[in-house]
Amino acid sequence: MSDAYATTDRLVSADSNIYDRGLDTAIALSVVGFALGLVTLVNLVPPGASGGTLTTAFGTLLAVVVGAVGMTGLASYTNVVPVTSQRVRGIGLGLVVSTVALTVLAATLPVTMATLLGTVLLVEALAVTVAGVTSRLDLVDTEPNMSAGLLSGVAFGAIGLAMGGAAGGALAGFGSLLWLVGAVAAGVGLFLLAILPREDLGSTLPTAIVVGALGLTIVTGTIGVGWQWNPQTLSGGFTGGAVIPVFLLVGTLLSAWSAAKCRAGFGARGREYGAFLVINLNAFLMVAMMATIVVFVTIKGVGYAFHGLSVGALTALVLLTPALLAAVQFARTPAGANDWNAGARQLFRVLPLAAVGALAATFVSVLVTGSPLRYPYTYTVQVNRQGQALDTAIAVTPDTTVGTLLLIAPALLLAVTFFRSFGSLRKVGTESERTGSVRQAVPTAVLALVVLIGLFLVLGPAPFGLPLGGTLGFAAVVAGTVAAGGLAVSPLVGVLTSDGPTLADSAQREAPLFTLGVFGGLGLLLTALVLQPVAGVNPQVGPVDLVPAVAFAAALASLALATLTTIAKRSSEATITRRLLTEETRLGLVGAAGFTALVGLHVAATGVSFTVLGVSVSNASSLSWPMVMQAYIPLGAEPGGIMPAIIGTVWLVIGATLFAVPLGVGAAVFLTEYAEQGQFTALVEIATNALWSTPSIVFGLFGAAFLIPRLGGDESLLAGMLVLGFMLLPLVLITSRESIKAVPDEYRDASAALGVTRWETIKSVVLPAAMPGVITGVILGVGRIAGETAPLILVLGSTLNATAAVDVIGGFRFVSGPPFIANDALLTASASLPTQVWAVIAAGVSGSPQMGWATAFILLMVVLTFYAVGITARTYFRRKLNYE
Amino acid sequence: MTEDIPTTEGESVSSEDRVDGSTLAVGAVATTLMATILVFLFRPALALPMLLAFVFVTAVGWVTYQAEVARLLTLVATILTVLTVAFITFFLFVSALPAFLEHGLGLLLIPEQNGAARWFFWLESVLPSDSTYWNPLSGAYSLIPMIWATVVVTAIAGAVAGPLGLFGALFIAEVASDRLRELIKPGVEILAGIPSIVYGFIGFQVLNGFIQTNFLDDGASFLIAGIVVGVMALPTVVSVGEDALSSVPQSMGDGSVAMGATEWQTMKSISIPAAFSGISAAVILGLGRAIGETMAVAAIMASGTQFADPLFDIFDANATLTSLIATQYGSASESTVDVLFVAGVMLFVIVAGMSIVSQYIERRMQRKLKGQQ
Repeated sequence: MSDAYATTDRLVSADSNIYDRGLDTAIALSVVGFALGLVTLVNLVPPGASGGTLTTAFGTLLAVVVGAVGMTGLASYTNVVPVTSQRVRGIGLGLVVSTVALTVLAATLPVTMATLLGTVLLVEALAVTVAGVTSRLDLVDTEPNMSAGLLSGVAFGAIGLAMGGAAGGALAGFGSLLWLVGAVAAGVGLFLLAILPREDLGSTLPTAIVVGALGLTIVTGTIGVGWQWNPQTLSGGFTGGAVIPVFLLVGTLLSAWSAAKCRAGFGARGREYGAFLVINLNAFLMVAMMATIVVFVTIKGVGYAFHGLSVGALTALVLLTPALLAAVQFARTPAGANDWNAGARQLFRVLPLAAVGALAATFVSVLVTGSPLRYPYTYTVQVNRQGQALDTAIAVTPDTTVGTLLLIAPALLLAVTFFRSFGSLRKVGTESERTGSVRQAVPTAVLALVVLIGLFLVLGPAPFGLPLGGTLGFAAVVAGTVAAGGLAVSPLVGVLTSDGPTLADSAQREAPLFTLGVFGGLGLLLTALVLQPVAGVNPQVGPVDLVPAVAFAAALASLALATLTTIAKRSSEATITRRLLTEETRLGLVGAAGFTALVGLHVAATGVSFTVLGVSVSNASSLSWPMVMQAYIPLGAEPGGIMPAIIGTVWLVIGATLFAVPLGVGAAVFLTEYAEQGQFTALVEIATNALWSTPSIVFGLFGAAFLIPRLGGDESLLAGMLVLGFMLLPLVLITSRESIKAVPDEYRDASAALGVTRWETIKSVVLPAAMPGVITGVILGVGRIAGETAPLILVLGSTLNATAAVDVIGGFRFVSGPPFIANDALLTASASLPTQVWAVIAAGVSGSPQMGWATAFILLMVVLTFYAVGITARTYFRRKLNYE
Repeated sequence: MTEDIPTTEGESVSSEDRVDGSTLAVGAVATTLMATILVFLFRPALALPMLLAFVFVTAVGWVTYQAEVARLLTLVATILTVLTVAFITFFLFVSALPAFLEHGLGLLLIPEQNGAARWFFWLESVLPSDSTYWNPLSGAYSLIPMIWATVVVTAIAGAVAGPLGLFGALFIAEVASDRLRELIKPGVEILAGIPSIVYGFIGFQVLNGFIQTNFLDDGASFLIAGIVVGVMALPTVVSVGEDALSSVPQSMGDGSVAMGATEWQTMKSISIPAAFSGISAAVILGLGRAIGETMAVAAIMASGTQFADPLFDIFDANATLTSLIATQYGSASESTVDVLFVAGVMLFVIVAGMSIVSQYIERRMQRKLKGQQ
C-alpha cells in the first residue's frame, strides 16, 4: 500500500471518535424512526400493536437491516464495493445497533408501538442535547458559526407557534385567547433560542425541545393510541393513529438534520451534511412512493388479471425465442478486463441467458413428460357485496398447438433482426453458369406469379366462366412451391456435395447458392402462398397441404445450413473465412425464421391447420388468458375479461397517432426548416405549449359539443380518437421541433455544399437524424394519452361490462351514396381501459373492485411499457450520439 | 390537369415549364384541400370523396414536383395545427358566451338568487345557511363553491408538490451522482406517466377508507384529493425545476467552489438564486397541472355543489371545476351545459395563462443566464 493511501486511511479513521460514533447512531436511529413513522402511518403495524405482533414486526425489521448492512459490509470487506467513508460505515453500524436495541426493547418490555416510538424521539432529543453541549464546552473539535442563522430561526419560530398554539388550546381550550399567548410565547422563545446562542447550541437545543415535547406527549399517553379529537366545526377530526406517526415523521426529520449538523462539526460542513441528508431522504421518499404505487396496484390486481392463464408449452417456447435473442445480445456485450470485478460482471451478463435456458428446459420437460405445470392460487372477488374465494391456476399445458399469430410475430421479428445484422455475400465464392441462369429466372417467375395474383384479384378465380383458378392457378402454385423448395434446399445440397477440401471451403465456395436459396425461396414461396386464396386453391400432397409442408422442410434445411456453417466456423482459422461463415449462418437463420413465418401465414390465410410430427399450427391458439382475450360474460360462472376495453384502447391510440403524427411532424418541419424564425414561430411555440398543459377535460368538452353533433350525434370511437389526437398534437409538435433543431447545422451546410436541394436535404439528412427523437416523443406521448380518461368520459360512451369489442376492420363497407365508404364501428360507442376503471368507480357498490384493480393493473402495465420503451430508446440513441 | 405535364426530371422540360408545372401542382393540391375542408364544414357527407380527390392530386404532385408539394404539405400541416388550436379556443369561448350573458359575473363573483345579488354570500358560507348555489331545476347557478374547492385542492397540492419538488430537483440536478441520476430521472418521468385514473382508483378504494378511520371523516375530503393531486403534480415540478437548475452555467458554481465554498453553500447562494425564476416557473406549471387534474379528484370526492363549512374545513368535500364537468356533463340540461362551458373556459384561460407566464419566466431566465456567460 502506498504512503498516500496509508495517510488517507489514518485521517479517515482518526476522524471517528465516540462523539462521531454516537451521532452516527443517532442519525441512523432517526432514519429508522422515519421509516417506522411511514409504516405506522399506513397501518402496516398499528400504533397500538404490542407483544407478539410488535416482536414479529421488529424481528422483520431487524432481519431487513442486518441483511442489507451485512451484504454491504461483505461487499466492502471483499473489496468489491469498497465503502471508505467513515460516516457511511458509522450509519451502517448505527442502523444495526438501533434496530437491535429496539427489537430487544419490544421483546422484553410490555410496551406498545406508540410508546416505543415516543421513546425513540426522547432518545433523539437527549442525544442531540448532549452533542450540542459537548461541542459548546469545547470537548470536541468543531467549527460552529456564531449563530444558527435567521432561516433556521424562522423555521423554529413557526414550529413553536404551531406547537405552542396546539398546547395552549389543548390545556385551556380554544375559547379563551390563552392558545394565542401560548403560541406566541413558544414561537418567540424557540426563535430566540435558535438565533441567539452559538450555532452548536442554537441548532441543537430547539430541536431537542421540539422533539422531546413530541416524544413526551406520546410516551405519557397525552396523545395515545385511543386519543381522539373531533371538533364540531370540522367534518373530520384527529386520532392517535394518525397523529403519532405524523409526530414521528416531523420529529425524526428534525433530529436527523440536527444530528447530521453535529456530526460534521457545524459550520459550513455541518450545514451541508444536514441539508444533504434531508435532500437524500426526500429523494428516497419519492422513489419509495413510486415503487409503492406500482407494487400496490400490482398486488391488488395481479390475481384477477391472470386468472385462468394457461399456455401450451410449445407456444411458450416459441414466445421465448425473442427473449433468447435479447439475452444473447446482452451476454455478448463486453465485460471489461480480466479481473475479479469483470468476472462478476460476466456472470451478470450470462445470467439472463441461463434463465432463458432454464425456462426452455422446463417447457421442454412439460412437452416430454406430458404432465402440465400448474401454479394454483386463490383470489377473492366481490359478488353481491360478499367476498367470494375463487380457485384458479396459471398453467403450462403439454399442448403442442401453436397459434398462427403467436408463430408469425416472433418468427418475423427474428427474421428481420437477423436480416438487419446480415451484411452482404456479394462476389463471394464461385457461381456456376446454371446458378447464374436460375438467378435471372427467379425474378421473372415471381413477376409471373404476381401478374397472376393481380389477374385473379381483378377478375375473380373463375373469369368469364372459365375455371382458370382451379387449373392455371393450381399449376402455378404447385410449380412455384416446388421451385421454392428446390431453391431452399439447394445450398444445403450444394455444400454437402461440393468437393472442397474442408467444410468451410465448400461453404465459402457455394455462397451464391445461399443468397439465391434463401431470398429466392422466400420470395417465390410467398407469392405462391398469396396466389392460393386468390385463386381459391390449396394443393395437397397426401394428407398435408403442399405449401406449409415445403415451407417447413425449407425452414429445417435453412436451420441445418446455419448449423453446418457454425460447425465449419469452429474449425476454420482465417478471419475472413470466419466472417463469411458468420454471414452465411445469419442468412440461414433468416431463412429458418422466414420460412417458419410462412407456415403460420399459410394457416392464417387458408384457415386449415397444419400438423407435422405431432406439432400443429392452427388459428385456435393454445394460449388462454381470459382477462385479456374474453369479453365480460353476463351471469357466467367465470368472471370473464376486458377484451373490448383493450381493443378500444388500441384503436384509440392508433387513431390518435394517425391524426396527430403527420400533422405534428409536418408542422415541425415547416416551422423549423422553412419558416423564418421570429414572431410567428415563437407565437406558435407558446400556443402549443399552452395547449399541451390545457386540462384534458376541456378537450373533452370541445369534443362533446363540437365533434359529436357532426359525427352522427352519438358518443363514438371516432370522436375519442380525434380528441386524443388533439391532445397528442402539441406534444408531437414540441418534441419533433426540438429534435429537428438539435440536428447540427453542419449537416445542412455540408449537404448544401454538395449541391443538394433543400427538400432533398430535409428528406435524406435532417429527418433521418431527427427521427429517433421524434419516435421517442411519439411513444411517450402515446403513453400519456393511453391513460387519459377525462375526455373519453364525455365522448366515448363507454359502459361497464361491455360484451363485444368494436370491429373496426370488419366495419368498413362500401355504400352507393356519397361518402361511398362508411364504417359504423367507428361511429359507435366503445369501451376503453381508463373509462372501464372509471365505470367501476361510478358504479359504486355494484361495481366489482377486483375487476377495477385488475383493469388498473393492466392499464398501468400498458402505459408503463410505453414509457419504459420510450425512455430506453431515448437513452440508447443519446448514448449512440455521444459516443460516435 | 397535372397529369399532362411530363414526369421526367430536368432536361426534357425547360425550366420555365417546370416553374409553371410546380405552380400548377401546388395550386391543384391547395385547391382540393380547401375544397375538402369547405365540404367537411358544410356538407360532411361529401367529405370523403373530396378527401380522396385531394389524396390523388397530392400523390400525382408528389411524383412530379416533390419538393414544392412537400413544402406545401408541411405548410398545410402548420396551418391546420394553428387552426386547430385557434378553433378550439374560439369554440370554447363562443359556447360559454350564452351562459355568461345570462348569468353575468354572478357565476364567478357574486351569486344571484331571484334576481337579487347575494352580496354577503361569503358570510352565509361561514355561518350555517341552507341556500343553494347550484340547482339546475330552479335555475340557480354559481361556480363559486367549485372555484373555492379548486383553490383548496390546489393549495394543498402546492404545499405537497412545492417543497418535495424543489428538494427532488436539487437532488437530481446537484446532489446525485451521474449514475443515480440516470436511474432517478426516468423514475420521475414514469411517476408522471401513471394515469390519473389509477391514482383516482387508489384514492377511491384505499385512501378514503384510510381517512375515515384515521381522521374520523365521514367520507371523501379535500385533504386526500389535494395530497394525491400534489403527488401527481410532483414530477412536473421536479423535471422543470431540474431543467432550470441544470441550465445555470457551470462556471458560476465553479467560481463559488474555487472560493472555498461547500457544495451546499454553492447551491444555496448561487444555483437556487440564479435559477429562482425557473423554479418558480416549475411550481406555476405544477399548480397548473393540479388545477386541471380531473379524474383523481372526481374519483376521490363525490360531487357536491356547496361551500365547505367552515371555509377552511379540509375534511369536507366538494366538486372542483374539473370534476364538476366530468360528473355533470352526461346528465346535464342545455342551460347547465352552457354553465359547464363557462367552467371549461375558466380552466382553459387560467391554465393556459399559467403556462404562458411560466414560459415567459423561463425564457427571461435563459436570456439572463446566457448574457452572464
